[in-house]
Amino acid sequence: MMDKIEDHESRHSSTSLKSVDNADNQTSAQRVPPPETPEAIQTRFRVIAAFWAVIIFLGFPIWWKTTSIYRAHLPIQEMTEWSEGKICRPVFPLEIQIAAPALQLTESQHLVRTTQHALDDLNEFAAHHLRLKLANATDLSDSGGPVLGGQNTGDGPDTALTVRVLSEDGLSSPRSELHAETTQLDIFYPPSQVPVPSSSNPALSVFIAEELQRLYSEEKATIAYILSGGTSGPDAESISRRLRRSMKYADTYHLSFSLFTPGAAPTSWDIEAAVQEYLAPLLFAFTPISNFTIDTQVQMYATFSPMAPPPVFDEVESAWTLKKEDLSAFINAAEWPLNPSIGNGPTLNFVLYVPDPSQSPMVVKENRASSWIIPQWGGVFLLNPPLETTDSSGSRTNPAHLSQDSLRPAFMTFSHQLLTLLGTPATPSSLPLRLQSLIRVRAAALLLSASSTMGSLARLTESLPSIPIPATVAASVAKTLSQLSATCSHLREGRFGAALASARIAESEAERSFFEKSMVGQVYFPDEHKVAVYLPLLGPVGVPLIVGLMKEVKRLVAAWKARRLSKA
Amino acid sequence: MRVSSYLSLPLALASALWTYATSASPDYSEHLLLQPLPQSSLLASFNFRGNTSQQSYDNQHFQYFPRALGQILQHASTKELHLRFTTGRWDAENWGSRPWNGNKEGGTGVELWAWIEAADDEEAFAKWITLTQSLSGLFCASLNFIDSTRTTRPVVSFEPTGDHPHLETLHLLHGTLPGEVVCTENLTPFLKLLPCKGKAGISTLFDGHKLFDAAWQSMSVDMRPVCPADGDCVVQIEQTVDMVLDIERSKRSRSNPIPRAVPNDQLACDPSKSYNSDDTCYPLEKASGRAWSLQEVFGRTLNGVCPLAVSDGESEQPICLRVPDERQVSYSEGVVEHRKADGYTRCYALSPSQPFDLSVPEQDIQQEVPLEEPVLHAERTIVGHGQERGGMRMILANPSKTAHVDFIIFESLPWYLRPYTHTLQATITDANGRSREIPASDLVTRTFYRPAIDRERGTQLELSLSVPAASTVTLTYDFEKAILRYTEYPPDANRGFNVAPAVIRILGAPNAAPIYIRSTSLLLPLPTPDFSMPYNVIILTSTVIALAFGTVFNILVRRVVSVDEARALGARTLKGRILSKVIAIRDRLQKKQTKVE
Repeated sequence: MMDKIEDHESRHSSTSLKSVDNADNQTSAQRVPPPETPEAIQTRFRVIAAFWAVIIFLGFPIWWKTTSIYRAHLPIQEMTEWSEGKICRPVFPLEIQIAAPALQLTESQHLVRTTQHALDDLNEFAAHHLRLKLANATDLSDSGGPVLGGQNTGDGPDTALTVRVLSEDGLSSPRSELHAETTQLDIFYPPSQVPVPSSSNPALSVFIAEELQRLYSEEKATIAYILSGGTSGPDAESISRRLRRSMKYADTYHLSFSLFTPGAAPTSWDIEAAVQEYLAPLLFAFTPISNFTIDTQVQMYATFSPMAPPPVFDEVESAWTLKKEDLSAFINAAEWPLNPSIGNGPTLNFVLYVPDPSQSPMVVKENRASSWIIPQWGGVFLLNPPLETTDSSGSRTNPAHLSQDSLRPAFMTFSHQLLTLLGTPATPSSLPLRLQSLIRVRAAALLLSASSTMGSLARLTESLPSIPIPATVAASVAKTLSQLSATCSHLREGRFGAALASARIAESEAERSFFEKSMVGQVYFPDEHKVAVYLPLLGPVGVPLIVGLMKEVKRLVAAWKARRLSKA
Repeated sequence: MRVSSYLSLPLALASALWTYATSASPDYSEHLLLQPLPQSSLLASFNFRGNTSQQSYDNQHFQYFPRALGQILQHASTKELHLRFTTGRWDAENWGSRPWNGNKEGGTGVELWAWIEAADDEEAFAKWITLTQSLSGLFCASLNFIDSTRTTRPVVSFEPTGDHPHLETLHLLHGTLPGEVVCTENLTPFLKLLPCKGKAGISTLFDGHKLFDAAWQSMSVDMRPVCPADGDCVVQIEQTVDMVLDIERSKRSRSNPIPRAVPNDQLACDPSKSYNSDDTCYPLEKASGRAWSLQEVFGRTLNGVCPLAVSDGESEQPICLRVPDERQVSYSEGVVEHRKADGYTRCYALSPSQPFDLSVPEQDIQQEVPLEEPVLHAERTIVGHGQERGGMRMILANPSKTAHVDFIIFESLPWYLRPYTHTLQATITDANGRSREIPASDLVTRTFYRPAIDRERGTQLELSLSVPAASTVTLTYDFEKAILRYTEYPPDANRGFNVAPAVIRILGAPNAAPIYIRSTSLLLPLPTPDFSMPYNVIILTSTVIALAFGTVFNILVRRVVSVDEARALGARTLKGRILSKVIAIRDRLQKKQTKVE
């Protein structure tokens, strides 16, 4: 054995003398193997390099790709700017046509100019301003103009109001008359007050300006309140109360009319006729803003909740009374089937409650009212029909059937409650004007709400780096932003109907992107799970790889040092 | 106790009478039929029916039709709906044929089928999913779990019962949840659908504790359009509750519900048996003369009448009792009793405001109300052993001595049960007990088969067959059990998987209403893994990969030297140096020891 090794040694001794010396210096029994050939070292280097190349250029990218979360690019900067109101300052220029058929052209032009001056002096809120325009003679034929702003499809601004200036004998001072069914304001003035072109501030102009200012004061206050974010404004308290009561804007509202009674009667009502008669015209007027579906039901044996305080008999009023603070417990939500309607859009519930004969009549204690609004939910009306004495026993019962006429007060109240719940301003008296005003208020509110949703989405995606952002969200965001700027330009040009339409799309797209389902489910793996999955594989595989790499690096460093030494 | 078939005035006929008497004009009606059954049982069959004109239904003006349900059905374009909640087992051996001929009951759990108007199958399925989701919320049941794997489209097993003008655009979809536990939370929404809501009329008798304590109970909701030949179409909703209560069990007071042993001296023992000691007893089945009253059995009395249920006094009474005429029955004051000509039925017209109670005292009577013999006995079980394969066996017995019976078996099997239809075999046993194997094709006249697709849909099998008089047919086929994915197992995987009951539709005369029988649901044990499996798999595969990788890598990278050379090299490595240090220290210690010595 020994001989063999020595043989082996001697054969190699010629090639590397130094190692032989080394071996001889240490122990004579153990022979050190010959140094590796440069080819072998080269091969090993290549093997290790190849392994690491695969890891770095193939393994790592695959791991990165398969475990990373897809986050579509969002225009964070732009979204934040929208929410901060930097991009769009909404303005509401209302165009008002003035027709003065009795006046000369120069006179009427002068009237328009001076009235505009007077208006501008009165106006304190710059975003909402009235622009007067002299109507053409042809426009007058359709007196009153379009009923609602949304019908204007052209490029020009909507006409908010037509003012007709008419002279009337026997007046001492000008008076105004607003048409309840159209958007027309008639101003009657005594012929003596015809504005003279020389006068800079005629009385008639001032009067018209004050009238217009008065007509739009509530709308102005509301828009100012909305744009300021609910802080400023002279009557912020009442406006915020009104806005809190009204429903969020929706394309479609479901109206649900329910007849509730604790006993066995009435069991039927003339609901179809009543809806057709009392409600359909109002709903038709609303079509440019929202759509409505109607459903009705009759529910007997609908008792109060056991928790609710029962009505108390009031001797003075000779009626059963409910306390104002107990009205919130009136609806027995657990038992009355008032579930929301199916389909998109919120449900507005209108409850017609016919009290039991033993508790009739029933009123609210404080003000003897028979109806009230439940904010953002609906309205209640207490109907006390005349009792009928039916059978021989003399007991008095409710009528079995409610006729259309007996439903009239209830449905008048319901339509008033509906207007309030939809956020319609209380003034002016003309319904078309109120609805126009509602369009502007809604457009402003939707613009702000969609913008702030964008801001929230931007903040959310920045604060949670592990949530995925699908491409659909990016598309929705892009659409929202484009619709928002369309809304803004429509507003600037006075096309409020178009602005509302754009704002509706912007709002729904913003909501869709914010409430995207796949973003809600975050990918979450606890760290210990990751360790448990990765370690069994990476431990045994990684250790030889890393040790091999370290050895090779060490060798290269040593070789480099040796080369430097040898050079020196 | 044997069922006497020759005397039978069918229970079904009584119910059929109601069906035709009331389907026409009145807007709302309700009925209750009480019938004592053998073995101390009481069948209570409640029926509520409301009509709404098609026009006001379409315009969403709901009066007798519940608004919540109506909106769901309109939203899902459902033209006819049948929903069933069933628990327990109907004991056909003792109780005879089923109430309503099985038309108002479902398989164990929840069963739902509906005709949906849609342009194509995909649209129909989308609407079906909408329907199940919405009904799930309305009835507090897991109906939303009816997905594509639990949905079938039966071809011949169900026929629409309503009058549909455009039958060709309707799609029938059927879904079952055999594992659903029907409970009180399903009864509350059911009661809310009624116009009188359990506050007046016969629905005041419902008590969740009693209803779900019954030996068998079935709740059903049916909606269908009815177009009489003369007059406008109406949309009809019919709700029924059928239950079989154990009288003894129900009479136990709520405060002391634990059953106690009857003292020895009060036991009724069979004197014809021989006893070897005093403490043994063959209990004697009491005749049907057991005493009971509504108050005792339902825990409450009936509270007036629902004023909507128009009853003109003579022809219709809301409550009927089927006991022999000689039986004494006492009832509350102000109630009028009407006896029917058949000698077994008496009905009660109630006074509107007073509570009503009915009391049947204990009485020995010879005569009994005849029960109708079922047309077919059906039994279905899973046979076989092992984790991989199994078999299904159906025993179908025709008790009639003269007439053969034609029927359709409808099976909807989950996808993880894969039947081999070529293994379908039939054995026929005649009255003398001789059995012989015959080719299944001799019995099966038509087959409708839609094979399963894994994780997408289940198997649907409809067999149309005929069993000759006085014989029993045993059908068997084999199946294979699929292995599920890790996440597809429920939390209680070792309990087994529910297989929906088979629905048997017995074909009678062409125009007569069909009779339905449902088998019990089955429990299928599947191969169940150890659920720590994923980590084991990760660790095992990682080890194997690491082993292979390490070997290959070392062969490629390591230098091969001889043993001696390795030793020499080893002296220069870290390990070698440590070893030599250790040896040096040991040597020094040994030297010290020798010095001390």
